[in-house]
Amino acid sequence: MALFSGKKKKDKGLYLSDKPPLTVAGIIGLVMSYTILIAWVVAIVWPLFQMVVSAFNGQQQQYIMGNENFEFSIRHFEFLYNETYYLTWVRNTLFIAISTALLTLVMVSFTGYAYSRYRFKGRKASLMAIMLIQTIPTFAGITAFFTMHSIVSSVIPAFSRQMMLILIYAGPAIASNTFILKGYIDSVSTELDDAAKIDGCSNFDIYRLIIMPIARPMLTIIALWSFIGPFMDYLLAKVLLTSPSTYTLAVGLFTLISDFRTMNQPAFAAGGLLTAIPIVIMFMVLQKQLVSGLTSGSVKG
Amino acid sequence: MATYSLYLKDNIGNEYERKNMYLLELARLDEKISEETDKEERMALQKERKSLIANKKKHQHNVKLEEYRKKEDEFLKSIKAEESEYEKTLPEALNKQVRSLKARMFHHEKRMDFYNQYVNLTYEADFKYRESRIHVEQIPEIIGFIEVIEGELAQAFEEKDNIDPKDDAKMKEELKSFKREAKEKLDLEIKKVKERRREGIISSKAETNAIKELKREYKNQLKLKEYKIPSIENKDLIKGKKRELANGVKRGEKILKADVADTRRKIPVEFEKNRPMVAYLTSLIPGLGQLINGQRRKALFFFLATLFIYFIAIPYALGYGNYQGEGISGLVSLAEGGARIHKSLIFMIEGVVSIFLILIAIGLYYASFRDVLKTEKEMIKGIRPSNWFETKRTIFQEGFPYVTSFPAMLVIVFIVLVPVITTLLLSFTNMNPQNQSKFTWVGIENYRLIALGEGLAGSVFWLIFTWTIIWTLVATTLAILLGFFLALLVNNDRIKGKKFFRTIYILPWAVPAFITIMFFSVMVAPGGVITEILNSVFNARIEIKNDTVMTRAALILIQGWLGSAYVFLLTTGVLQAIPGDLYEAAEIDGASSFEKLRRITVPLVLFQIAPLLVTQYTFNFNNFSVIFLFNSGGPFDPQRYGNLAGSSDLLISYVYKLALVNQYQAIAAAITIFISLGVMFFAFLGFRRSKGFREGRL
Repeated sequence: MALFSGKKKKDKGLYLSDKPPLTVAGIIGLVMSYTILIAWVVAIVWPLFQMVVSAFNGQQQQYIMGNENFEFSIRHFEFLYNETYYLTWVRNTLFIAISTALLTLVMVSFTGYAYSRYRFKGRKASLMAIMLIQTIPTFAGITAFFTMHSIVSSVIPAFSRQMMLILIYAGPAIASNTFILKGYIDSVSTELDDAAKIDGCSNFDIYRLIIMPIARPMLTIIALWSFIGPFMDYLLAKVLLTSPSTYTLAVGLFTLISDFRTMNQPAFAAGGLLTAIPIVIMFMVLQKQLVSGLTSGSVKG
Repeated sequence: MATYSLYLKDNIGNEYERKNMYLLELARLDEKISEETDKEERMALQKERKSLIANKKKHQHNVKLEEYRKKEDEFLKSIKAEESEYEKTLPEALNKQVRSLKARMFHHEKRMDFYNQYVNLTYEADFKYRESRIHVEQIPEIIGFIEVIEGELAQAFEEKDNIDPKDDAKMKEELKSFKREAKEKLDLEIKKVKERRREGIISSKAETNAIKELKREYKNQLKLKEYKIPSIENKDLIKGKKRELANGVKRGEKILKADVADTRRKIPVEFEKNRPMVAYLTSLIPGLGQLINGQRRKALFFFLATLFIYFIAIPYALGYGNYQGEGISGLVSLAEGGARIHKSLIFMIEGVVSIFLILIAIGLYYASFRDVLKTEKEMIKGIRPSNWFETKRTIFQEGFPYVTSFPAMLVIVFIVLVPVITTLLLSFTNMNPQNQSKFTWVGIENYRLIALGEGLAGSVFWLIFTWTIIWTLVATTLAILLGFFLALLVNNDRIKGKKFFRTIYILPWAVPAFITIMFFSVMVAPGGVITEILNSVFNARIEIKNDTVMTRAALILIQGWLGSAYVFLLTTGVLQAIPGDLYEAAEIDGASSFEKLRRITVPLVLFQIAPLLVTQYTFNFNNFSVIFLFNSGGPFDPQRYGNLAGSSDLLISYVYKLALVNQYQAIAAAITIFISLGVMFFAFLGFRRSKGFREGRL
């Protein structure tokens, strides 16, 4: 026992860290750092916490008031479920976002492969054209979209505004992602293709069996971002969708805080909470992929 | 007068002698004429050439050729009858496939014999002879293959009938017990692996791998045992043989076609024609030229293009089948003097669509013309036009990029280009509340109004533009500085709980922005949480949303809150990747912390994320959501901003209000074009810096 305690005492006196010992200035700096960091944590968490509290506070009426007491209740969620189109909005948003992602993915996978691997006539010219087109902001055509939809729907009555919206989201996404995927496939050695070609693979086989599996990480990113874009967008959805049953979440939830007829702020907090949770989880889990997609050179304006 | 060459060429440049003596004589004369320097001699030779052409029909070779054609006609007529006659002699029990193969064999044997007589007369006969020879050589192989496999199949079926059901049942019983045992064993093994994991001997990854491996082994064992059951084994055998049969026949046919194609490349064609005519004559009807050149299936596809051109593109451009418009001419008239329900905007869009349709039509004309011309020129040289088998192969190889990116191009043209061009055109019109359904061209009037800051909508343009620029610079820079600073702090070695801080700090990025913006809007509304707190702190009634300065400040703070998370994320990624030895080296050289920051951290981080930061500026320039969802561009200040905009409106939300709320579409379009050009310029700057562009590796 004595031996052990003696050793312990000795250890306490030794400075074992490989960092230089803290000076007084260092300690002050560290304390300040912690203060700032914790202050920012509060700045981030407090508004989000307020949202959660308002969503569950049964005392809140139509408006969220600052000085109400708290009483746990889920009646705002019930309101959201019974009195609004919340579930329809969720369905619409998912339909639009997933369709956009799929459409973009399929088309981009082909264009990216074609532009990366083939030297065909008109390649450089069309690539330059796409580069120019992808810098045009999507809202530039805003006045024409609505009228274009009525023209098309006069020919094809089944062509709904939501489908138009999907195409509007997908068009620029195809243009800009073609570049990203092309760059990614460029970095894959063509030796694999050559080997496959010698083994008798057709172009489509190479696309399906070689390029697509290799490009999967980048395709995942493209799909994710083309999903997130429509999910978060307010402007275009607001322009094209006119009846509450066709709204997306962004447009629908805004009616709960902007329109006097449908005003219900706590219900908005509840809806926002429900919407945010899956998205936050998705962003946290797929953080790495999402960030690598950002740094891979998108120059969308 | 075009001349004839002495030799024919195939597409890899091999030369072949002419078989057509008449053309050969012409070619020789042509050569002599070109070599002759004496004028009179040349005249004489040309005269000779003319008389040769005049006596074309009487030329010995042509007479023979005529005779050959007659005989060929007769042969082709008789062979059909003979073939059906032969088919009748085949035994009834014969497989349909074998039957048709045998008939084909018979056909080609006869054909071979016939054309063999004329091999030296013309390349046509030569080619047909060799084509038939390939068939005669290879069809028996296919038939033999079918017979062997069918024999095996028959045997398998026989075995199937001979399977003893008792035996089968016994084996099945055995399998069941085996399965039970194996399952028990598997469970035991998995338990053992899990135990070892619990004891900490293996990692969790090793555990999952081991379990996977065990399960795979179990499945394999079961499969192996299963095939011991006669009925299952037999079933599988039959299935396999059937597939082998189908695939084998397909493969045989493919080889045959490839061999024929190969022969096609090796045997030239010989034509009297020496100038491409068809391409020019048929250029207006894509498909016809291909048909004349003998490429029937290819022609079919080009006829589809003809249908598109004459039944869709051109009628549409002329105004037929339009929703309201008049095709291209609608672009000029803009529905002027039209019916009441006719809208200029629709006329304009349909005009733009017409132009694109016409462009596509021109592209198709050109493609077809080029195709026919190329084929014809090659035919004159001596290269045989490719058949469908070869064309298909070319489409799948060289046409692949066109075919696969065509749908994407279609979407880009009609969904991106048509609206953008419409907006561009719209900016030269006077579409405003007074001229909603009918408007006219006004030239650059809108741009003039904006530039001079005149008119109802143009007067506030510069005010809004100034605020947009201030907003873009301040809000984005604030977010960047905040994010960068926080990332530096968290990345400090001595800070504990890095993971916690990082998770919290990216929350504003992960929570959908529209939700947080709307909630902030609720919190600063009268009676909201933040308002209440501010009121009690300052002991005054503060209404953020009714005050221009406070609204703007709040917007900038919110955007700082939102945008910093993204910058934090990017910076953290880069910081973690900076090698530690850089700092150690700096320390040894006596650098202070500030110097390390200034000379190592900041340059490295900036270098990597600068292009992304540029996009942050363009993003905020067009950040509609935060402005509109927070306070709808308000508060309104009619004295300075009129009734069309609020004092926190950006150009983009101003455009939205002009175009979609107040119906000043024309001037909104002009502003849109202005914004787009700016954004495109910055995007292009960013793009020019990217690696691929600089190295010219487009």
